[in-house]
Amino acid sequence: MTDAFMMKVSRLTKHYGETRAVDGISFTVPNASVFTILGPNGAGKTTTLEMLEGIREPDSGEIEIFGARLKRVTRPVKQRMGVLLQDGGFEPYLKVHEILRLFSSFFQNSLPVDDVLEWVALSEKSKALVRTLSGGQKQRLAIGAALINDPDLVFLDEPTTGLDPQARRNIWDIVSGLRARGKTIILTTHYMEEAEALSDEVCIMDYGKIIAQGAPKTLTGDLGEETLIEFHGENVSTQAMDQLQRCCKATRSDQMMITLETEHLTETMESLFAWSREHDIKLRDLTVRQPNLEDVFLTLTGRRLRG
Amino acid sequence: MKDILLIARAHIATAVRERVTLFWFLIFPVFLLTILTLIFGQIGEEGEISFDITLLNRDRSPSAETPFSDMIESVFRELATAQDEATQPLFVLHTPEEDADLEGFLESELTELRRGRRAAVLVIPEGFNDTVMGSLIEDSAEIATSSEVGEIDSLRIFMSDTSVSSEYATQIIQQILTEIDRRILIQSGRFSPDRAVSSETHWIGRQDGETPYVDYVLPGIILMGFFMNGLFGVPGTILFSRDRKVLRRYWVTPLSVLRYLAGFGLGHLTLCGLQFSLLFLLGVYAFGATINFAALDTVLLLVLAAVTFMAFGFLIASLAKTANAGMATANILNIPMMFLSGMFFPTSGLPAFIMVIVYANPVSYLLEGLRRSVGVQNSTIMPSIWIVIVPLLWILLSSLVTSRRLKWDVER
Repeated sequence: MTDAFMMKVSRLTKHYGETRAVDGISFTVPNASVFTILGPNGAGKTTTLEMLEGIREPDSGEIEIFGARLKRVTRPVKQRMGVLLQDGGFEPYLKVHEILRLFSSFFQNSLPVDDVLEWVALSEKSKALVRTLSGGQKQRLAIGAALINDPDLVFLDEPTTGLDPQARRNIWDIVSGLRARGKTIILTTHYMEEAEALSDEVCIMDYGKIIAQGAPKTLTGDLGEETLIEFHGENVSTQAMDQLQRCCKATRSDQMMITLETEHLTETMESLFAWSREHDIKLRDLTVRQPNLEDVFLTLTGRRLRG
Repeated sequence: MKDILLIARAHIATAVRERVTLFWFLIFPVFLLTILTLIFGQIGEEGEISFDITLLNRDRSPSAETPFSDMIESVFRELATAQDEATQPLFVLHTPEEDADLEGFLESELTELRRGRRAAVLVIPEGFNDTVMGSLIEDSAEIATSSEVGEIDSLRIFMSDTSVSSEYATQIIQQILTEIDRRILIQSGRFSPDRAVSSETHWIGRQDGETPYVDYVLPGIILMGFFMNGLFGVPGTILFSRDRKVLRRYWVTPLSVLRYLAGFGLGHLTLCGLQFSLLFLLGVYAFGATINFAALDTVLLLVLAAVTFMAFGFLIASLAKTANAGMATANILNIPMMFLSGMFFPTSGLPAFIMVIVYANPVSYLLEGLRRSVGVQNSTIMPSIWIVIVPLLWILLSSLVTSRRLKWDVER
């Protein structure tokens, strides 16, 4: 493929009754990259992915994929795609290797089952029934089924939702491995740390529209050079809050988390300690960090991603 | 082709590994065949069943010149004697001791009957010989009136209305008494055997080469297995797979619905084949079934039955919104379709409005066709051609509805 992009989406729209789930979005997915669609629940991420995967037909718009312009995804295109659904199931009474063998039979070309089992670290569970697997193992099996045809383009819809930190790390390793093999990955998530850790490019959606797009560093960089200081402040009085806001840019979120934005960290910290002593306020869960994609979303929408 | 074969294999593996499915599709039909054959298969097989009955002969008048009561007693004693060591007698006869209190004996035997330890109690009343003799002598002034005979001198058979065994024993006793009565009439010259309607009794059983009971029940059990496989297995698998988004995983691959259907159908028919083989082998080797399913028309009917019930399952899957609704629909249809097919009892005497259901029910046609093709049923309420046409119409209807209405993916 000589094009610099794997997929180009133009004015894609989808309605469910009166609800406009996806509202004329356009984006381009570069080759051999991890492209992440980030957004809160109900933003339209999964519907967008389902149209790109061929599960749903768009109401309007165009998809250019593998160099071909399509109204909907065709079977030859699916031969080169791998899809991890958000919550798809498997037959609980089939064995792990049987599932992979079954999926490999759907494609003209596929990888050896044993190689895929090793790739997703399930070789030891090869003969186990699906119903006996843990959540993380099931998700790795689902990724194995999505990769069985050695796809050029991989869709991963919320691959780590509901998994424990260790299982999440395992999935991240697999995604990084895919990228290292030159695969193009389209990922959806509502974990900003996941998007930041894995993505080459991020597209932030809200209410069916794209509200920001670019590399994670670029998006957070757009917020300026400010450093963020955060602490829990449920016992902070209005008077104390007013005093804090006079010395620096301070906001209080719904969860009573107080955030200070500053370009002069040392001075602001000194002022903060003096303020806490004066008002006898304990700075619980005090953290100092750089802005992240959550802050980008907060800045753009006034809401948090995981509200 | 590999994808179709592997989908079929997955379908079979799932059915065989899931205990509930395995029970209903394989173990339950086997269990039912075993139970039916063991319980009802022995009824009518001479020498393989025995009834505990009580005979109380209260007519011991020495004045009787022709002791009819003794004659009856001797017949029952004969039937209670084993003909050889290998054969069990038809009756185990309980009679009072010589000096027993007859009233007390009768009371205790009736208690035994109520408890299910006796199949019947036969009482020959006092004066029975005189009554019978009197009825044989024309214009006899000493004969008791018929009303008196009815009140005083009737034979009495006590039976339990809660016991199937008692019902059968009573029927047999009545047949024996009818035969004794006929022979008395013949010997007294009041009835000519030439004018009698001749009849022979043939035991249905293995011993004399007639059709064993298992031959009657086996085609019905096989069809019932296919029926449950189609009615519950098809919508269950399709709808649960759809609702759990198992199917969705397939639709994001190049697999088409048609190829999935081909694999599913192949798996389903193979399961039916397994079910048939198991029941057939059990029928032949465990219960001595003699019917032959190898004829072409029989094989075609079996395939037609499996396909019809599979199509019916798809019809249910098309009409039900969820897997649970599909199972409920299958449950609602299951009982009337099985019972109004002639699977368990004849349907010919049912009221007209119920016969409409019988005639619309594909199971009726397939069951009758199968029984006819294996030679265990000759008479028919169905014209031959309809045995094929009605199931084909159901397949057509189900296919049309399925192609238009079945949702292969969960709705948003």
